[in-house]
Amino acid sequence: MFKQTDEKRFRIFSTVFLCLLTIIALLPIILIVIASFTDEKSLLSYGYSYFPKAWSFNAYIYLINQSKLILRAYGVTVFVTAVGTVTSVLVTTMLAYPMSRKNFKYRNLLSFFVFFTMLFNGGIVSSYMMWTNIFKIKNTIWALIIPNYLVTGFNVFLVRNYYSNNVPDAIIESAQIDGATEMRIFWKIIIPLSVPTIATISLFTALCYWNDWLNGLYYITKSELFGIQNLLIKIMNNVQFLKSGSSNYLGVGNMNLPGTSVRMAMAVIGILPIVIIYPFVQKYFIKGVIVGAVKG
Amino acid sequence: MKIWKKGLIIALSLIMVIGLAGCGKSTTGEKDKDGSKSGENKSYDKVVYAYATFNNIPTSEVLDTVEEEINKITREKINVEVELLPIAIFDYSSSVSLALQGGEQIDLFQSLGDFNNSVSSDMAYDITDMIDVYAKETKEILGEDILAACVKDGRLYGIPTYKPYALTPMVVYKQEIADELGIDMSQVKSVFDLTDVLRKVKEAYPDMTPLVPVQTGTSGVNMTIPEVDYLTDDYFSPKGVLMGDSMTVVDYYGTEEFAEICRLVRTWYNEGLILKDAATTTSTSTELMSSDNSFCYIASYSYPPEDTAASISAQVGNIPLGAVQIGEAYLDTTSINALTWMVSSTSKVPEAALKFLNLTFTDPDVINLIIYGIEGRDYVMDEEGYVSYPEGQDASSVPYTAQLSCGTLGNFFLMHPMKGTKKESLIWEEEQNKLAKKSPAMGFTFDSSEVKTEYTAVSNVIQQYLPGLLCGSVDPEVVIPEFRSKLSDAGLDAIIAAKQKQLDEWLKNK
Amino acid sequence: MKKVVSKKNRGLTKSGPLLLIALPGIVYLIINNYIPMFGVFLAFKDYSYVKGIFGSDWNGFDNFKYLFRQDALLIVRNTILYNLAFIVIGTVCAILVAILMCELGERFRVKIFQSSLLLPNLLSWVVIGFIGYAFLNADTGFINKTIIRLFGGNEVAWYTTPKPWPFILLLVYLWKNVGYSSIIYMASIAGIDKSIFEAAKIDGAKKIEQIRYITIPMLKPTVVILTLMAVGRIFYSDFGLFYQVPMNSGALYDVTQTIDTYVYHGLMELKDIGMAAAAALYQSVVGFVLVVTANAVVRKIDRENALF
Repeated sequence: MFKQTDEKRFRIFSTVFLCLLTIIALLPIILIVIASFTDEKSLLSYGYSYFPKAWSFNAYIYLINQSKLILRAYGVTVFVTAVGTVTSVLVTTMLAYPMSRKNFKYRNLLSFFVFFTMLFNGGIVSSYMMWTNIFKIKNTIWALIIPNYLVTGFNVFLVRNYYSNNVPDAIIESAQIDGATEMRIFWKIIIPLSVPTIATISLFTALCYWNDWLNGLYYITKSELFGIQNLLIKIMNNVQFLKSGSSNYLGVGNMNLPGTSVRMAMAVIGILPIVIIYPFVQKYFIKGVIVGAVKG
Repeated sequence: MKIWKKGLIIALSLIMVIGLAGCGKSTTGEKDKDGSKSGENKSYDKVVYAYATFNNIPTSEVLDTVEEEINKITREKINVEVELLPIAIFDYSSSVSLALQGGEQIDLFQSLGDFNNSVSSDMAYDITDMIDVYAKETKEILGEDILAACVKDGRLYGIPTYKPYALTPMVVYKQEIADELGIDMSQVKSVFDLTDVLRKVKEAYPDMTPLVPVQTGTSGVNMTIPEVDYLTDDYFSPKGVLMGDSMTVVDYYGTEEFAEICRLVRTWYNEGLILKDAATTTSTSTELMSSDNSFCYIASYSYPPEDTAASISAQVGNIPLGAVQIGEAYLDTTSINALTWMVSSTSKVPEAALKFLNLTFTDPDVINLIIYGIEGRDYVMDEEGYVSYPEGQDASSVPYTAQLSCGTLGNFFLMHPMKGTKKESLIWEEEQNKLAKKSPAMGFTFDSSEVKTEYTAVSNVIQQYLPGLLCGSVDPEVVIPEFRSKLSDAGLDAIIAAKQKQLDEWLKNK
Repeated sequence: MKKVVSKKNRGLTKSGPLLLIALPGIVYLIINNYIPMFGVFLAFKDYSYVKGIFGSDWNGFDNFKYLFRQDALLIVRNTILYNLAFIVIGTVCAILVAILMCELGERFRVKIFQSSLLLPNLLSWVVIGFIGYAFLNADTGFINKTIIRLFGGNEVAWYTTPKPWPFILLLVYLWKNVGYSSIIYMASIAGIDKSIFEAAKIDGAKKIEQIRYITIPMLKPTVVILTLMAVGRIFYSDFGLFYQVPMNSGALYDVTQTIDTYVYHGLMELKDIGMAAAAALYQSVVGFVLVVTANAVVRKIDRENALF
């Protein structure tokens, strides 16, 4: 009896606490959503408010006029995110698994090899030279997928750590005694055991590809290959640039650039697809976490 | 079964490796195809023209159509084919330098205020001996005086965009409020006359902040200090400057002129006459002007005051605006070479590049194709020669336009005027270029490489203090002394000394 | 007994097949990360476009000078203090959220909470900068216009008042990152054997005690590994957080300037590739030394959890 109420009380506390956090997390985002629907003039005259004096759809009308650009950019980003995430998860788990094997001779060496990449990088100039001159990926869709994000040390260590703590040596040993090859152990035993961590890094990787704009910035000049982030950031940063001092020598008054509410609307359409898709993906994600809990 | 799995893994690993090489291959293949395509006819030199754009970047097919139109002209005239490479303005400089470092072909590029750096890091081709052969007409149009701004150590490294250089400081204000309160704006002759006007407006509208900043971090007052030659520094980060006719480099922040305008803005700030967040606002001046809470802002424009007011009025929801001049235009080296076209030092076809650059200054068809795209599809022209977008389209929906970059490419005076502007203004502007007072150090450029360390430190200090001072949010009596002592800790004196030394040398050789 | 097993086991474990599994990853890291490392020598060069990367002149440690000036010390201090605060407070908050989330049990609520907490992470810093501005701006901001008016008090010119900024930045950091990092801990908690909890329950352990004596100790490996990785990046800072969120306001530099923003401001005009490379090398080397030291300490105490 006593245990039950204790658990119940804790559950209530958790719910209340997380409710509060959720509100804190969402309120600022709601403010920009509302700002994107606020009349530009009202925004500047009366300030940002959850209950604006005048509403307006102008910002979205402006964006609908550009829907061709935006839809194509969505297409690019979705493709890149899907292909990038699948490849990345595969390569990452394959790299992390040997690192987790306590009796693998090169375990520490490999870990250090991976970790070193997290500390040192040669800078953008040399990697740009390599990718464009040797691999010729400039202005190809691969430029958005391959450089930088396919294997990150962070994810490798997350997976390795999960394996070392959640895959009992005994399972592998008994499989080895049964004569299973390493490949077979990896596919048949390790992969099914690593659903939670695969869910986690898939999520991280997908977000990373979805939000990436650096690869686009460096390697893409053709506008048909711009992803959604590149499109948004270009417009936002052009405005930023105009406001910064370095633009003053242009001395041109004819700049009719998107106003605050349009910029807010752009931010909204940048995250909208994730907000819509995420609950569906999350089902698998949470299932993964729970499957892991049962098996572990 | 086992073997099959093993094979799968190996295959996967191989795919990874080959996949990388494979995508390389496919692009090279494409390139070869392109090469053979142009090789079928006559062989032309291919020039890559990289320009900064504020507009949407057009798709490749659209770019191809515009390129083809330009090529029709260039093949015949100069035996050259052009590839246009529009880059969004905010990452233009970094993209170009990255591409040049990576060994990609970019033959022509522009400076965005960083001409000096481009030259000192060897990005620009020395065109001294080529200009008379390949770009003679351009040289004639611009004249030696203007070209001198792109000379360094006696060598010519670029051609400045030909446009209205002279920026005249003005106050842009809301006509209705001025009329209503009976304020005669024509009596405002200098920035100091503005205080009473602002007070009057504030009195009538206590909720209003009459003055808004022109840009993040400046109320615009710094542009009203007369006759300052920034000696190649950024306008928003001046270090050692010349004032008036004196040839002694002075510390900008130690001058009485600077202290005076800081005190002026401070009184505005204390009385609530200027936007409190001027130092950090995220809104552009046009946005701020379209709200009901503002009255005026200070800015420098290259158009006649009436035109300026009219064209800005169109952007702020047709609120009637007026503009008055509150100072004189002044030309120094930077005002001309800030936007300079250069042939890249890595170019394999510098002659062809220069020939094409010459066309952007001399051939109206070429420059208008780059700016407006193809007539009928991207723009229409009325009988009087004014240009507008086709019915129901605007700058963001036409397939190609680079209209917002008009002041940065080639010869501005050859471009078709947009509807709503006046052709007569062009004449005024070209006149202003000749009439505006020129700095005695016109043509001098400062090479900062010997004081690099100090330069970075000083830039940091300036960004920490200057916006606050120019927007009145800090007290100049307290902050200027603190600011100056930090500057001298950061090595400002070394920069000033280096400037003076180079300037003296330059004068000797002149 | 254990030794015998592992000896036998070592006999069964051949390195070859395992290396083969890791091969795609190794190849990728060599290409993507190791080959470009030759670029570090740019830090010792006076870069010239004509001469190119290999042909430019060497200039010793000249490019590093600006990083060791007097005024740069304050910036190093800021960078380290912020990172320490982020590591400690960020970890505590993420674990707290993860534990509470796992206690909910019910999927629907987990789903709602988790999605909402993750949402801030999807926003770019530019947008977060705008959001901050919507709240803090002195003339039209939500705090000055609404909150302060409601509760009374003086309006604050937030972007020129340095005092509250360490807290604002910490808050923004937590707001953006806690949801994200709690996912890692959630996955770790999910990996804990449920039978341990059952046994504890039968022994009469309260919820708090279960957390204190089972969950938290079980999270230790994850905490150690994430902290070690963070220590390696202690000289880096999230540029967006320190540049976009304070709107690059000069008056706040004393508390918002970090190594990355300092380098950015200093080089905005000069755009010197060598000096930028020098800064990156400096950050990497310090991070490297710190993390190798920290790792050695961890190895001494608890071999299993060391990074390498």
